[in-house]
Amino acid sequence: MQKVDLSTQLAGLKLKNPVLTSSGTYGFGEEYGAFYDPGFLGGITVKGITPKARLGNPVPRLAETPSGMLNAVGLENPGLEVFLNAYLPRLEALKTAVIVNISGFSLDDYALMAEAMPEESCIAALEVNISCPNIKDGGMAFGTDPRSAEEVLRVTRKHTKLPLIAKLSPNVTDITALAKAVANGGADIISLINTLLGMRIDITSQKPILANTMGGLSGPAVLPVALRMVYQVYAAVKLPIIGMGGISSWQDAVEFMLAGASAVSVGTANFVNPLAPLEIIEGLEEYCRQHGYAAVREIVGLAHR
Amino acid sequence: MLSAEKVVANQIVVPGSGIYKLVLEGEVAATARPGQFVHLQVGLATDPLLRRPVSIAGIDRERGIVTLFYRVAGRGTALLAGVGEQETLSVIGPLGNGFTLPQAGELLLLAGGIGIFPLFSLMDAVDRSKVKVKVLWGAENRQLLEAAGRQRLVDLALDYEVSTIDGSMGQPGLITNLLESYLRKRSLESTQQRISTVACGPPVMLKAVTEICLREGLPVEVSLEERMACGVGACRGCVCTVRAAGGTLERRRVCKDGPVFKGREVVWDAEG
Repeated sequence: MQKVDLSTQLAGLKLKNPVLTSSGTYGFGEEYGAFYDPGFLGGITVKGITPKARLGNPVPRLAETPSGMLNAVGLENPGLEVFLNAYLPRLEALKTAVIVNISGFSLDDYALMAEAMPEESCIAALEVNISCPNIKDGGMAFGTDPRSAEEVLRVTRKHTKLPLIAKLSPNVTDITALAKAVANGGADIISLINTLLGMRIDITSQKPILANTMGGLSGPAVLPVALRMVYQVYAAVKLPIIGMGGISSWQDAVEFMLAGASAVSVGTANFVNPLAPLEIIEGLEEYCRQHGYAAVREIVGLAHR
Repeated sequence: MLSAEKVVANQIVVPGSGIYKLVLEGEVAATARPGQFVHLQVGLATDPLLRRPVSIAGIDRERGIVTLFYRVAGRGTALLAGVGEQETLSVIGPLGNGFTLPQAGELLLLAGGIGIFPLFSLMDAVDRSKVKVKVLWGAENRQLLEAAGRQRLVDLALDYEVSTIDGSMGQPGLITNLLESYLRKRSLESTQQRISTVACGPPVMLKAVTEICLREGLPVEVSLEERMACGVGACRGCVCTVRAAGGTLERRRVCKDGPVFKGREVVWDAEG
């Protein structure tokens, strides 16, 4: 049987296969170890880290939606120091690329986080989160204005040599304007999409279900929106793309790669089917074999022909 | 951890009650402990999307079966009710930490409504030749008590008392009254037996009984419930708030760090 080359490289980020897991859905890489060795994955993206520990939002933090879910966790995380001292050493043991998602409330925060992340470690890249919808300041505020988005990337760039992934918010009118802005700012890779801002109301209590009122929509429901944005960004900028948003099957992953994603990331699907990332890797390989591609890289962007 | 369990039975316990008994045969039983739960995929479609956590009410290692009870409350549980015998269900579990199993003294079980279900597994597991088990159970009415398994307490020859809000069975009122009068009676008997308490029920009930237990100096474990997504501690969607050593507030994951917590740690009204 012909062997398919699944490896890929996005700027300075080398991956053994193009399947990652998304920030906020995969903890710190240990939780799914009971199901399989994360070393099979192209990479994992850990929960967003902020300079100081955050308690995050009160509960309810979750609400189900048609073919999707809302979350308003609010960037609960142990903070930079605990991450570096307690979590990073454990991540070193994983035989996969580790992407660290960093979030801030000011430019200084991003500078501090970038500076503090060791370049000689298991960290393969930093994902700059300018798109979290669940915190009051910072987060998405940076990611919906092209000038601020560019500035965040410019500042972060000055403080690290690690590959920088800019994670874009879909809650904008023109995603390509944001993509161009982060490219100008010095991003090496673009990941999209973060969650779509949404809400639900409990008709018994007549109040919003989420304690935070609004939250981020994810799951199969957002797939067409995410796919469209990947397609647009691929046509607009030269940077490699990590596509995400509702990917649950290898067929979904193929669609994203055809739209222009060099790699894909699995998020909400982990909650439903913990084996989804592995099934997607296998399915991508089989798709390439069936269609006569020697390397999975060959299918990237084919929908644009 | 992820298995396809065979549905041995899935039937309503009393017509009209909305309470179902689900018996699963497979891998879960081998390692399940009282107080743990399973995360069930209720359908193959994407709507509803998420799995449903259901506490384990009975564990039969020899036969490889676990028994669960659930009340149909929404679309997910309604779908679950439609699953037929001999079908398979995708199950993640057993999950969570489980109850502490006392080896001696008295075990006081406090149940609010269908919060009795996870306590069933504890009643089965505890060695009653060494541990005196007492059950206090509050519910809306007699129908709920009967549908949720009062007969089981009778069959086990357990020492139990019930209260109902509408007064249709047992002491009228809330379980807190039942608990107060039991503790009063017990203190008059001046028993020296060590007592441990385990509570499961709605949050207001858990908060109230925990306050009474702590006031009386009784250790209490509470089994919490929260909206869940992953079930394995990855998404931090289902947290509760605890006061850690040193007094700082911390979040704990109900799915992974719980669902059983020490009552004295839980902060019930964190941020409203």
